[in-house]
Amino acid sequence: MKVLSKQRLETALNKLSEAAEVFVPMQKGGQSGFFSWQSFKNEQDELMLDNLNVYQSPKGVVLPQTEKMYGIKTQGVEINIDQVYEDDHPTLIFGARACDVKGILAMDEVFLTRGYEDNFYKARRSNNVIIAHACYTPGDNCFCYAMEVNPVDPAGADVIIRDSGDVYVWETQSEKGEAVTAQISDLLEDKDVKLPELGSFKIDVDYTGVAEKLKTMFDHPLWDKISEPCSNCGICTYVCPSCYCFDIQVKMWGDEGYRFRAWDSCMYEEYSREAGGGNPRGAAKERFRQRFLHKLEFFQERYGTPLCTGCGRCMVVCPNDINIVRIIDAVKEAEVND
Amino acid sequence: MTDKDHKCTCDEQPLVPTIVEVIDIIDRTPDIKSFFVRNADGSGLPFQVAPGQCSMVSLLPVGESMISCTWQEGQEYQEYAIKRVGLMTDELHRIEVGQKIGLRGPYGNGFPVDECKGKDMVFIAGGIGLAPLRSFIKYCFKNREDFGKITILYGSRSQADLCFKEELFDLWPKEPNTEVFVTIDNAEPEWDGHVGFVPAYLEELNPSSNNAVAVVCGPPIMIKFVLQSLEKMGYSDDQVITTLEMRMKCGIGKCGRCNIGNEFICLDGPVYYLRQLRDLPAEW
Repeated sequence: MKVLSKQRLETALNKLSEAAEVFVPMQKGGQSGFFSWQSFKNEQDELMLDNLNVYQSPKGVVLPQTEKMYGIKTQGVEINIDQVYEDDHPTLIFGARACDVKGILAMDEVFLTRGYEDNFYKARRSNNVIIAHACYTPGDNCFCYAMEVNPVDPAGADVIIRDSGDVYVWETQSEKGEAVTAQISDLLEDKDVKLPELGSFKIDVDYTGVAEKLKTMFDHPLWDKISEPCSNCGICTYVCPSCYCFDIQVKMWGDEGYRFRAWDSCMYEEYSREAGGGNPRGAAKERFRQRFLHKLEFFQERYGTPLCTGCGRCMVVCPNDINIVRIIDAVKEAEVND
Repeated sequence: MTDKDHKCTCDEQPLVPTIVEVIDIIDRTPDIKSFFVRNADGSGLPFQVAPGQCSMVSLLPVGESMISCTWQEGQEYQEYAIKRVGLMTDELHRIEVGQKIGLRGPYGNGFPVDECKGKDMVFIAGGIGLAPLRSFIKYCFKNREDFGKITILYGSRSQADLCFKEELFDLWPKEPNTEVFVTIDNAEPEWDGHVGFVPAYLEELNPSSNNAVAVVCGPPIMIKFVLQSLEKMGYSDDQVITTLEMRMKCGIGKCGRCNIGNEFICLDGPVYYLRQLRDLPAEW
């Protein structure tokens, strides 16, 4: 098997950066996330390839937190769209965990299927390569196995790397992956190493049948109880590797400006408030219910997979101790009238 | 619903508007104006809109709003009847003829006009809710022989708030096999027509459900009671059609906010048979 010695990791990242902007999990200032390898400063930043989940998933590589769409010039009654900002510069995500790769696959379904291809997303994604990092030791908040994610063999990766002591085993998975492998082929060695075994998950949860049961639970009193602590702060949507909802806004300085989109959150009252004042999800409970039904029922019905990838981030960051695993358990235990 | 497919008629940049010119503006009521648009170079329309479909209307620097196209006249113009309700529509009501605005679309499924052919049509609208139905009503009159009896029931708060008055009082009543009924909420000195709410008037008129389809649009509270009345009058869930509205940003089922259950109203709707709505969470 092909392996990459850990001693050669930085050389490999430098080499990969010649052809693409390489995003690597690192601690940078107060936040951890996937940042450009070119911005890595040895004395300040810390590589976090060994950590399971950095604070922010790599979703921003394909769906940036804010993204310019097109430039506008006005003159009196005239309007010109003078530039469409499709960003197709090559990007490479290095070391994404299976749950985060699944988040991007879910976004592929949203942005690239069902009649319309989102050209901005497509431009980024078609020149994006994913090198996934297999997980063998589940963390305290991991439950990906329950959400159709295989931590050891991440679906949708172009290359999978596996940590085996001093080396990463390097497995090419796709045509895009072959190109990347060729790029650093002189750094790879042939060596047979022992692969670790997948350890046991600390969280025991079963999603089977939850989407179907939720279909009958829209008006269930359970929502009153479990939504009560939620302050609709939206941090769960911010750190979620698969939350993709966006807003479109405009920025003008005098006669010039641009339209842009930005991450939005179903937790906010304005999100679904209509101009006439109506709001189908005006109450905090209704927004809470929307988020969890979207994750666990609606997305499953529409796209055939849940929109939760079991990464556990939302449970860690929630200031009010709301826990999606306990919600799945509560749904399973809830009594419903047929 | 995973096999649901949509036919995209837009170009390869569905979120980027085409610039069109406002060629005429008509005051319909104190807070509703009709905006007539066509390509900025005068050469027809940027896209074709079917009855019930919507477009994203974009006014800089304010914003974009999803508006049901109230009529497309051949290749000549599209008409959008827009009520002043918020930031964007407030600004829109201040523009003048000649203003360039952005337009993208068409979005949504539109009315099932072919499935309604051969049926008696009952159109029930309140306020600005007549704007989307008007595209279907005018389609029926353009293809008059394809439809049976046409009944139009329209209500608004006051006489001044009645939209499309010329059509309601002069043009549509002259169409063959057509009845038009208009009501306002409260009595007014200059009004000798019907006074009262739409649902009660509907039950009074009691148009037969036999081989009929009812198409309903108006304020949520009106829709709610009209649906109850129609049920009482013997209309099945397959004989009632409505068109929904939600806040929208993208129009193409991506941005997330206009969902009801697993449906995106911009893409899968906005037009639904009542039987389809019964399967969705009660957020409509």
